Amino acid sequence: MAGSDPQKLMTKADKLTQLSLTRWSADWKNASVLYEQAANGFRVAKNYDKAKLAFEKASKGQEMLSSPWDAAKHMEAAAALAKELGNWSEVADFYRKASELYNECGRSQPASDALAKAARALEDAVPEDAVQLYIDACEILEEDGKEQMAFDLYRAATNVYIKLEKYTDAAAFLLRLGLAADKCNATNSQCKAYLGAIIVYLYAHDIKQAEKCYNDCSQIDAFLRSDQNRCASKLLSAYMEGDIEEIKRLSQSSTISNLDHMIIRIARKLPTGDISGLKMDAGKEDEPLDENDLT
Amino acid sequence: MSVIDILFRVDDICKKYDKYDIEKQRDLNATGDDAFAQLYAALETEIEKALLKSEAASIETNRAAAVAMNAEVRRIKARVKQEVPKLQKLAAKKVKGLSKEDQETRYELVLVLSDRIEAIPDASTTAKGGWVTSTSRKNIKFDSSDGDYSSDFFQESEESSQFRQEYEMRKMKQACKDLKAPYVSALSFNSMKFAQDQGLDVISEGLDTLKSLAQDMNEELDRQVPLMDEIDSKVDKATSDLKNNNVRLKETLYKIRSSRNFCIDIILMCVILGIASYLYSVLQ
Repeated sequence: MAGSDPQKLMTKADKLTQLSLTRWSADWKNASVLYEQAANGFRVAKNYDKAKLAFEKASKGQEMLSSPWDAAKHMEAAAALAKELGNWSEVADFYRKASELYNECGRSQPASDALAKAARALEDAVPEDAVQLYIDACEILEEDGKEQMAFDLYRAATNVYIKLEKYTDAAAFLLRLGLAADKCNATNSQCKAYLGAIIVYLYAHDIKQAEKCYNDCSQIDAFLRSDQNRCASKLLSAYMEGDIEEIKRLSQSSTISNLDHMIIRIARKLPTGDISGLKMDAGKEDEPLDENDLT
Repeated sequence: MSVIDILFRVDDICKKYDKYDIEKQRDLNATGDDAFAQLYAALETEIEKALLKSEAASIETNRAAAVAMNAEVRRIKARVKQEVPKLQKLAAKKVKGLSKEDQETRYELVLVLSDRIEAIPDASTTAKGGWVTSTSRKNIKFDSSDGDYSSDFFQESEESSQFRQEYEMRKMKQACKDLKAPYVSALSFNSMKFAQDQGLDVISEGLDTLKSLAQDMNEELDRQVPLMDEIDSKVDKATSDLKNNNVRLKETLYKIRSSRNFCIDIILMCVILGIASYLYSVLQ
């Protein structure tokens, strides 16, 4: 399709929507169709800017026609094009709008998917926003009682946090994942989440927190009976004894190797800092933070 | 087929023969008459005892105890070897009620026995000689039917794996021949056990992976169940809608067609009348 055709379609559609003396009400129906065609044409011609614009207008048209589903779809297409252009704020905006429209339709899964797509697109560029989007996506699913679908989102958010080196947040997220898994009786995911949280705390060299976390998690039956529990207890006791070899051996074990890959990576880097000081149980938390192996 | 396999097979077939004869011997033993059978049975038990002792010796970690056990094994071996010529003489003797073939087999039995005695590991000889002597046997008769041979085949795999272990043990012995010492067999047995442990470790790791995979699959399937239910209900709704539409379509089609048929009839009638009148006017 030549560039002129979509342009012509655009102008035609614009004319249809412009209110003037001869036109008292905008003909959104035809206009939307024309906008869509124009947008596709632009996309094929790789004219992303115009295509994005066309999709936006098409979406608005559909909204006027009170079909939020189509509107949302067009918004998503527009957002994808914005991603191509690297226009991050627009990406976030468009995806959020799409998600709202999906919510209007009462379909929470696509809504959360839209936010997840946004987050994925922004992971590298604007990770803080990405994390926020992930959190919102998880909330949408949880409201709807679909926690199972949220697992992947939680894991992705945790990965972003770990990349940002915000370890407490990452661990907190893993605990939230554990909670969600608990609601769905997904014991395997739950135990893996708890073990992951303990490892993250250990990596951040927050031994007290790790222990507290371990104690909290041991209250939970499912975790108490699992392999991950044994691995966690061995890890903590190795830390207490300052046994580096043991820690290294445990991080190579299969239980840890079945966790998320980011967590495996940080587990392999354990122990961070100097753990010989931990042999005494006196709180020496602030000791080796500067020796943290944050590579 | 490698030489080792041939060796194993040969040994096994011969052993099968021994079994035949042992049964006969035991039957004869029941009568208590045949001296050969009695002596043979006695020597068998001695050999088994010796084998057990040598195994215990190889497991033994305490070197002194291992040496003592090996010495005992050697003693038993020597004693049994002394009995072998007696056995041979008995074998050569003609016993009434025994066929000529059995006579020959008895002689072979004696040979087998002496080989087995040689083969008992006592940490003094390089037991490879044991293997060599067993291949020197030449009179192997194949009068077993095919069915028997196939049952043999299965037996073989169990026993040949044992033989394989023994063979590897002896190979290792050969390898550390320079170490001399009575603890050579202990070492090689330990290294064999170590290899086994390693193998078991590999298996356990594989099982761990399998377990985690299975658990993840389980969860994934649990996740999919409500989705499938949703799909099910939606598809049901869609099919019922389709059915409705189809029925309505059919009805409308029928209606149209019937009216159309009617029109077509009328038109054709008019055409025919027109043609008829034209002909009439032409003919007139």
